Amino acid sequence: MDIIQNNADQQHDSTQHYETLQEMGDCLASVGDYKQAQECYEKAAVLAPDAPEPYVGLGVVALQNNQLDDAEIAFKIACRLDANCAKAYAGLGMAAQQRTDYKQAFEMYLKCLELDTDNLIALLGLFQASCQMGSFEKVTHYLEVYLNMHPGDTSVMFPLAALYMKDGRLEESKKVLQDVLSLDQNHKDAADLLEEVQHILAQESQTEPQTQ
Amino acid sequence: MTKNNEKKAGPLVSVLIPTFNRPKYLSIALASVLRQSYRNLQIIVVNDGGKDICDLIYSFDDPRLIYINRKENQGKPFSLNEALNRADGKYVAYLDDDDLYYPNHIETLVNALESKTGCQVAYSDFYKTYCRISSDGRRQILSKVVQVSRDFDRFFMLLFNHVLHVCLMHRRDLIDKTGTYNEKLNVLIDWDITRRLAFFTDFHHVCEITGEYYHPEGESDRISVQRRKDKNEYLRNVLTIRTTRPSKPWPKMKDLSIIFLTDRLNKQIGNTIKSIWQHTFFPYKLYLPLPESDINRLNSDMSNLITVPINPSTPQSNQIDTVLQRCDSEYIAIVPNGFPIKDMWIENPLYALMNNPDGRRGYEPASSTNELWSAVITKEDLQFARRSFPNLSVSESLKAAGIILKHPEIEELPFQFDNLLGQALSAEKEGDFSKAGQMYEYIAENHQNELWMQRLAAKAFFKAADYTRAAELSHNLNRQWPTVDTLLLQAKIKRENKDFNSAIELLKTAEQILENPVRHLSGSTIFSPAQTLEHQ
Repeated sequence: MDIIQNNADQQHDSTQHYETLQEMGDCLASVGDYKQAQECYEKAAVLAPDAPEPYVGLGVVALQNNQLDDAEIAFKIACRLDANCAKAYAGLGMAAQQRTDYKQAFEMYLKCLELDTDNLIALLGLFQASCQMGSFEKVTHYLEVYLNMHPGDTSVMFPLAALYMKDGRLEESKKVLQDVLSLDQNHKDAADLLEEVQHILAQESQTEPQTQ
Repeated sequence: MTKNNEKKAGPLVSVLIPTFNRPKYLSIALASVLRQSYRNLQIIVVNDGGKDICDLIYSFDDPRLIYINRKENQGKPFSLNEALNRADGKYVAYLDDDDLYYPNHIETLVNALESKTGCQVAYSDFYKTYCRISSDGRRQILSKVVQVSRDFDRFFMLLFNHVLHVCLMHRRDLIDKTGTYNEKLNVLIDWDITRRLAFFTDFHHVCEITGEYYHPEGESDRISVQRRKDKNEYLRNVLTIRTTRPSKPWPKMKDLSIIFLTDRLNKQIGNTIKSIWQHTFFPYKLYLPLPESDINRLNSDMSNLITVPINPSTPQSNQIDTVLQRCDSEYIAIVPNGFPIKDMWIENPLYALMNNPDGRRGYEPASSTNELWSAVITKEDLQFARRSFPNLSVSESLKAAGIILKHPEIEELPFQFDNLLGQALSAEKEGDFSKAGQMYEYIAENHQNELWMQRLAAKAFFKAADYTRAAELSHNLNRQWPTVDTLLLQAKIKRENKDFNSAIELLKTAEQILENPVRHLSGSTIFSPAQTLEHQ
């Protein structure tokens, strides 16, 4: 066509149709319409064969349908397309967790967080897997990093408080739990745990030698 | 058809479709014409020496179809002229064999032309559809964007084309004034005609999307794309078009006479004339006063060059007087031999003069000095000055006649819109999307092309994470002129706000436009997407 083109034309966006389908898939998944979401992701994958996001979406849908094999295949394809796809690792973690392979789940969630410290699913998944394995070495660090970026997220504050308590960092645990309750007075678990922490602290102060 | 019936049906519109070896896409293009809501059509398909497509044409079985089947390949201009010759319609529209109309295209433009705007040309907006071609020739749609939605700008049209030919419809009888397609051109043939149309009429821009044209990913098979690769040939075509002058009278275009002053024929003349030819896009005639002996030695095939025989001893001011008697233009430019010629050299002062008609004034090009003096004035003012003060030099006579000469101020220069647009695009390239968004909004408020600029502003604000502003703009745009871009934008913002259902509605509309715009338009709901959300 013989028409003047402005400079924006030189950077035309050929991903528009793919973006539309991917967005629609994500929205449909968010409202629980997994069947239509899957259709959208499949079309998106055809339009953008090198994009990992449609496969992440398909993996999420498969997880919802309890199709763990399909889910793992989809997430692994996403990882192959993009070795730094944090969401794909989170997805593999969820699949492993559903298989009760907590060691594998832990590894995948950790890999996700190394790429994206903001991934809440991986963060909480890491905590859950740690609980199952009884090992909390790296969890605290990632929970703290996340809360620095998202202060006031009680879904992360509570597990952190629990870990502090487990590690004997009672004062820190108490502070976090008090913060949780100031944000959410009805957080029963936090209230219960705070009571327990305060009880332990009180006991410790009674057993400490008196000085004159 | 009787006159009464034609009155009911609306005037006849001839749709011209040249084709060459693209039967698959031609079939889609033809179907889109036959599906028009406007029925009074004459559809002329010209096979420009391609493979036989008789079966395809006859398969449509529509009496409105006329098929011209030529065995020799003669090129697009020839085919269009052949079709024009056959066209009986009051109006003419165009369609390439790989593009498509939406069902409302012809009706939209006919309504525009039949309304009392005085315009004899109307044009709409089209989607540029980026696609990937699969091995079986099917198109996989990647995106649809309205790249340009520019209100008619005659001055810009002289520089280059800004109206897609497939979007355009004009009165058939205008071709008698403009002349037919130039068969010596092999690119930019659309612009050539559109530019000539601008000499005779204003264009009415309808800001509705009424079709789409295709841009395959990677190397295009378009002839125009291939031919642009030969830069010299491309330039030849550009310069041929820029120096084309249809026959007068020109109801909508002024004319310029450039009076070139030199003592004798020398090599420098050739260089200056060549520069003028290469850098001037406003319609002009170049007058070269020379002694008879020099005229006979002059070897130039430059179009629009008129030699004026003068006595060798005639002073330059009197040479101008001699030339003035022959000029039939509204504006005169005086240029000395050796004057530095570059892009916009005469268009800048000329535009300033055209847009400041009150008061006696003239404008000097930026490079004008006392030694190499140049100016653009109205013929009327120059004649007055020369009659009043024939014994003075031209510049002195103008001054004595009270004609103020100056360089144009920045705000008097042409293409203010384009300069601002360029600045906004640069801001985007530098990543300053907030600044770009503000600039687009400023341009929308202070210049033409409001809708186009608002769309760009919405996208820029989104990239700048100013979701409030982006949401406001995209919401307003989607109420009346939704595009895939603005629908997707508003959907993303809705999703950010966790309003998934609203986002889904918007995305479904976008997807319909991408996948099947014809069905989307044919089964269009009463409400626009934004109105549907409000209704819910």
